[in-house]
Amino acid sequence: MRLLTTIFFASAVLGQAAESAAGRWEGSAQIPGGELKLVIDLSQDSGKGWIGSIIVPGFGVKGAPLTDITVKDSEVAFTLKGALGNERAGQAKLKAHLTADSHLAGDFLQGGNSAPFVLGKTGPPQVELPPRNTAVSKELEGEWKGEYELTGYTRHVTMKFANRGVDGASVECVIIGKKTNNVPVSLVTQEGDFLSLKSDEFGITYEGRFRNETGEIKGTFTQGPFELPLVMHRAP
Amino acid sequence: MSASRIALALIALFSCATFVPAQSMFRGDPAHSGTYSGQGPRQFHRVKWKFPTGDRIVSSPVCQDKALYFGSDDGNIYAVEAETGRQIWKRPTGGPAPSTPAVANGTVYAGSYDGKFYALNALTGAIRWKFATEGERRFEARGIHGLEPKNQTMADQYDIFLSSPVVVQGAVYFGSGDGHLYALDAASGELKWKFQTGDVVHASPAYANGVLYVGSWDSFFYAVDAMTGKEKWRFHGGEDPLIHNQVGFQSSAAVVDGVVYVGCRDSNLYALDAATGQEKWRFNNEMSWVITSPAVTHGQVIFGTSDSSLYHVLDAVTGKSVQRQQDKAYLFSSPTVVGDVVLIGVLNGTLEARDLKSGEVLWEFQTEASKQNKGWVLTSDRKFNGPMFYYSSWREAPIVATERQFGVGGIFSSPLVVNDVVYFGSTDGNLYALE
Repeated sequence: MRLLTTIFFASAVLGQAAESAAGRWEGSAQIPGGELKLVIDLSQDSGKGWIGSIIVPGFGVKGAPLTDITVKDSEVAFTLKGALGNERAGQAKLKAHLTADSHLAGDFLQGGNSAPFVLGKTGPPQVELPPRNTAVSKELEGEWKGEYELTGYTRHVTMKFANRGVDGASVECVIIGKKTNNVPVSLVTQEGDFLSLKSDEFGITYEGRFRNETGEIKGTFTQGPFELPLVMHRAP
Repeated sequence: MSASRIALALIALFSCATFVPAQSMFRGDPAHSGTYSGQGPRQFHRVKWKFPTGDRIVSSPVCQDKALYFGSDDGNIYAVEAETGRQIWKRPTGGPAPSTPAVANGTVYAGSYDGKFYALNALTGAIRWKFATEGERRFEARGIHGLEPKNQTMADQYDIFLSSPVVVQGAVYFGSGDGHLYALDAASGELKWKFQTGDVVHASPAYANGVLYVGSWDSFFYAVDAMTGKEKWRFHGGEDPLIHNQVGFQSSAAVVDGVVYVGCRDSNLYALDAATGQEKWRFNNEMSWVITSPAVTHGQVIFGTSDSSLYHVLDAVTGKSVQRQQDKAYLFSSPTVVGDVVLIGVLNGTLEARDLKSGEVLWEFQTEASKQNKGWVLTSDRKFNGPMFYYSSWREAPIVATERQFGVGGIFSSPLVVNDVVYFGSTDGNLYALE
């Protein structure tokens, strides 16, 4: 009986913490010389556990995903994915706890620095989910080849498109220059004849239009400041 | 169907029927009158919602089918539910997006500092086509505004807007930092023609009777045939070869009853004959820029000034002053007239609602950033506190100063009113909905 009561109370407390952590949280971290505004959305997804995203006004960060989210009792922690971090500074993290007066207070950790923050709940969560791959049309499925020139070298590009049902399309992208680069494609979308590929890891995008009359994809390859024409043809 | 479901369906139908549609481009219509139908909000009750983005919002919201569309300097074009402030989609571009979108036939058109012009599916944000201009840039000049060193070419930190498109009869028109006025096929994005001016075009073209009207930073204002791209006439505004402060058209024109009304950095508000370009009158503002795009209604022209921070109402026929109100800070936001109310944003982070007839302030709203007044950028009565943020004309100091000046939640955005709700963006990164 005592065990059941303990389990009941424990789950009730956990449930309460979970409920309390879910929401839109707004406030700021106090960094030297100013404050860093933060808007954090946390929510529970039935299938995936906790999901979240962050907005940092003034830093161009809108809806960056949160990863490694843990909510245990009143303790909350998560990592920022793709925002306010790089190879040298590492990934930014927030470690916090739910206070008795319903705030989320803790430390913002970035680049080896730490700053205290306090956030108040301002409404229900508006978690921004990362964009998803769409399917590609039948005409695009299969292997395509093209080339572009950068800094005096020709780069040979191969793209293989395959549809994966509800997950949309997948793309294998290989660029061969001085060495062979397998480019991880983070997003592929097609709307009408407009095709778009993006690799977050390589900072590469390819956008082009499929021309039915010529059977080619005429587009632009972009990497940092370089924008180069890239026409893809169906592989023989 | 149960009684409750029928009731819900009726409520939904009723709410659709009462929703005022289509405020779908900058200044409300192709001629940019800045005047909207409906009742003006004479009282402020509360913030209905605010939508945070990752950087300042200079763009003005437009509305179509219960969705608001606008750009943010965080590089995204957004679609947000007008009722709830919930995001419908966002479309990243390659640079800040201070252009006001136009919506037509299910497509959202907007420009970005990445030098591309976008056509997006209004429902999903998916790219329909993308057009590459010859590249964006801000107006620049040697020793501009008296900045030092005077032999250094510097970008104008007050060149804050990008040209907003106008969509008419299957074509979309916009200006670019590459000095062109562009005409593209609205469906395919194919270039119809481009018209070369002598410098940056960040004003937005107005359209009336088959003619486009737009000014350039080359000091000329142009009338261009919308079908052919041929120049019909040009008007020469003032020049300032010494410090390039009193030159260029940043204001977008309003064309009403055969007259073009446009502000200029040479400190004049001009009235020009739309057919010939002949000057009808000018109203001088004594070295103070006219950046705002004038609103024209009931035979009156309403606009604001920068340094002198004056709210003016002129007689549209004679150009004589009808009313003049002293504001507290620079006016870059173009006034919006709804019924008997004029809404205008102020760079000190205040949105004002004024009575059209008397000019009296009916209510005002101050952004949080303005209240916080970081670094005492504002005086206690909300004027710009120059000594606390503008301490040097040398090198990068003026740029830092301007960033601080814009950091008090300033309002560049032109307000939009739909169903008594006022929408506008702020440099604090929020799109506000007030009711």
